[in-house]
Amino acid sequence: MTHELLKGLSSAEAEQVLGLGTKLIVPSRTKLFRLGDSADRLFLIERGRIRLTLPMQVRGREEDVFVEERSPGQAVGWSALIPPYRFTLTATASLLEAEVIALPREALGEYFADHPAVGYKIALNLAVVIGHRLQLFQTMWLREMQRTVEVRSA
Amino acid sequence: MDMLLMGLCFGVAGIVFVAFAFGAAMRSESWNSAVQPELPLVKAAAPARFFSDRVAAPRTVPPAPPWPVPIEVLLLQIENHVRLEQAAAESFLAFPTQALLHSKTASPFVN
Repeated sequence: MTHELLKGLSSAEAEQVLGLGTKLIVPSRTKLFRLGDSADRLFLIERGRIRLTLPMQVRGREEDVFVEERSPGQAVGWSALIPPYRFTLTATASLLEAEVIALPREALGEYFADHPAVGYKIALNLAVVIGHRLQLFQTMWLREMQRTVEVRSA
Repeated sequence: MDMLLMGLCFGVAGIVFVAFAFGAAMRSESWNSAVQPELPLVKAAAPARFFSDRVAAPRTVPPAPPWPVPIEVLLLQIENHVRLEQAAAESFLAFPTQALLHSKTASPFVN
């Protein structure tokens, strides 16, 4: 499987990066990380799906509201590479159990220091992931704003 | 003289009798006023409404639930809305036009 963060790497380089991590099984509906937790690991999804949610007040109760779902090949928890290293979403395995590779930030940092070309490629891939998320939610925000304006001016 | 004395005695006796009778009557009145018997509570009769009586009859329809849909259904609707909005946003990012930016979805939240 080609992980979105490892695109452009040789198979040897990809193997080395994956070797820094450990495989984790996330049982169905179990939380992988919570909003506000210290983000010291980045996760690459091998199997299953991970739901990303944010807390929202619904009828006076705090509920985890669906934001996005990530599938095999995609990454979750890239807050581990961005200060202040705190998760900004909650991640939960979907109906089926998920399998992820947990990559510790410190190990990645040391590897990138020794292999800057690999670090550069991964940083570019991460920029694509973050950029896409930004564009997606910017568009969604504008659509909601448009509706708010229509309701207010009606 | 005897007749006069007899009349005087009858007169005095009559006055004393009347005085006792008056005193007894006053005592019974004051007792009655001190201890008032409890009166049964009687609801004020509703004013007659003639033809409107039928309308004022209590309704037997059960009260409506506080929320129209259960919270689980509402959360699913929110998730469905987010998925549809993401799909619409993805379409816009793949081919950015003003029409696609504001395209309508089938989400019940926006219809």
